[in-house]
Amino acid sequence: MNVRHFPDTPALVWRGEPVSYRELNDRALRARTQLVTSDIGAAPIGLRCSKSPDSIALVLACLMDQRSFLLPSPTLPEHTLQELFLRAGCAGVLSAPDPSSGRYSWAVLPSTDRTRRDRGVADRARSFSPDPEAVTFMLTTSGSTGLPKIVPLSEGAVDRFTDWAGTQFELRPGRSVLNFSPLNFDLCLLDIWATLKHGGCVVLVEPTRATSSEYLRDLLIRHDVELVQAVPMFYQLLTQGNRDNTTEFGGVRHVVITGDSIAPRCLAQIPGLFPHARLYNLYGCTETNDSLLYEIDPTDLPTGALPLGDPLPGVRALLVDEDGATRNGPGTGELYVSTPFQTLDYLDFSHHESRFVAHPGGVDELRYFRTGDLVRRHEDGSLTLEGRTDFQVKVRGVRTNIENVEQVLRTHPDISEVAVVAVPDLVAGHLLHAEARRVPGSALNSLPLRQFCADHLPLTAIPSTFHIADNPLPRTSTGKLDRRMVAHLHTREG
Amino acid sequence: MNHTRTITTFIVDEFLPDVPAESLAADYDLLSGGVIDSLGLLKVIAWLEDRFDVVVDDIEIEPDNFRTVAAMNAFVQSASRAA
Repeated sequence: MNVRHFPDTPALVWRGEPVSYRELNDRALRARTQLVTSDIGAAPIGLRCSKSPDSIALVLACLMDQRSFLLPSPTLPEHTLQELFLRAGCAGVLSAPDPSSGRYSWAVLPSTDRTRRDRGVADRARSFSPDPEAVTFMLTTSGSTGLPKIVPLSEGAVDRFTDWAGTQFELRPGRSVLNFSPLNFDLCLLDIWATLKHGGCVVLVEPTRATSSEYLRDLLIRHDVELVQAVPMFYQLLTQGNRDNTTEFGGVRHVVITGDSIAPRCLAQIPGLFPHARLYNLYGCTETNDSLLYEIDPTDLPTGALPLGDPLPGVRALLVDEDGATRNGPGTGELYVSTPFQTLDYLDFSHHESRFVAHPGGVDELRYFRTGDLVRRHEDGSLTLEGRTDFQVKVRGVRTNIENVEQVLRTHPDISEVAVVAVPDLVAGHLLHAEARRVPGSALNSLPLRQFCADHLPLTAIPSTFHIADNPLPRTSTGKLDRRMVAHLHTREG
Repeated sequence: MNHTRTITTFIVDEFLPDVPAESLAADYDLLSGGVIDSLGLLKVIAWLEDRFDVVVDDIEIEPDNFRTVAAMNAFVQSASRAA
């Protein structure tokens, strides 16, 4: 639609150059030709691409074709990617074109594993038979264990979300929006896909330069960015590059903090950096998309944790206590949410425990997602994050389960004991430290162990530091691993 | 000037303190080997700039320039010549 109405306005900015709606549409049509000539019927496909205008054209081609597509992180280990493509029932994998030939590369998946592929398709058909809406995006959870979970989103769920985002953040032609996160992140539903739907311009941050504060500052100013949505690490990088307090991004109208708790010292600098912006804390999960929104008063910043705010239109949120009862007054409980944007369930739900449940009190017919976030409701009714009900932490905004990282390390033949702890870090939120005991006679050091992690874990789940020794790890009086002591010893030494 | 030894010592001190410097090959892939991530890469670049008095443009922050000790050495050598 946007190509008809504003063919020559920029849809994207990539490496300083604008890409118009017409040009993006042309590239999407080229990619679609590849799909049509592949003779794969209505089968889902996998996309293997890091962020670029061509990758975005690939996604648009799938959307035009109403074809479901899996969009995993291209940095996952190769065997994990292959397994995900098979589980999603993908007939093949399409990659961004080779810069020299300009041709999209198409790889048919091996048919030796027909049963598994058929099962994937069958699961999908079954899980969506009650819903006439076709699946488009298939995202994945960060999955710090062997295999990320596949989260299929229906066209309707994506439409409802992008409509909300357009209204809430005044997306329209002429509006520039920064896209900080990698293309496979759920955050792109707002900053890329909602922006394009409403005719705005997406200023793409190159993943390889995403941690350079000078580069980020330059993008914001040069391209007149008006909406920024990013994890706290982004704001931390900007404030670090602003030690003399001279930078101002006066053109930004909306600043959205999402994905993790922000350090108060960093938050305190945000009104100065963005003097004309409305500031928000936005809470969501891949499974449900955004759920709660809090508008921060820049003249009266909260001193403690940022409130999570109120449910978005159509969203229900509950606190559920340890006994499984909904908590209506002050206190803590696990946050359950039900949103108009949510997935119906994990695609391969036969492999995962479902986290979608009915209302614990049976007061409505909605399906609620158990977020695993422990939340406090204060006397005034406001909600703040307390922590997790499990072993999950955020590393650079990516949810990581430290127990799963331990499980992977424990499978190394030279390791007899291992404890992974999350150490707070100003920039990353948390960094992981691994304390490992090797088997007698082993000369294992961190070089092969890091390679082992790289082969089995997503990049963000690889511990930043390792300590490998021959001594037993500290344990509590009941014989459990004493992670608190491990963390204490590590920070004392570090 | 070949800076392989100096660079290796830095990488080992910073990221692999329990690893003997001689066991890190100059062509070992530090990125896909899980040794350096994107924040680590910034640390390496800041050190290279400081230690060898070279300037790394944003354009040059291509991971392939810093994938191995040998690549870093080649980068420093060409950057010094350019200056």
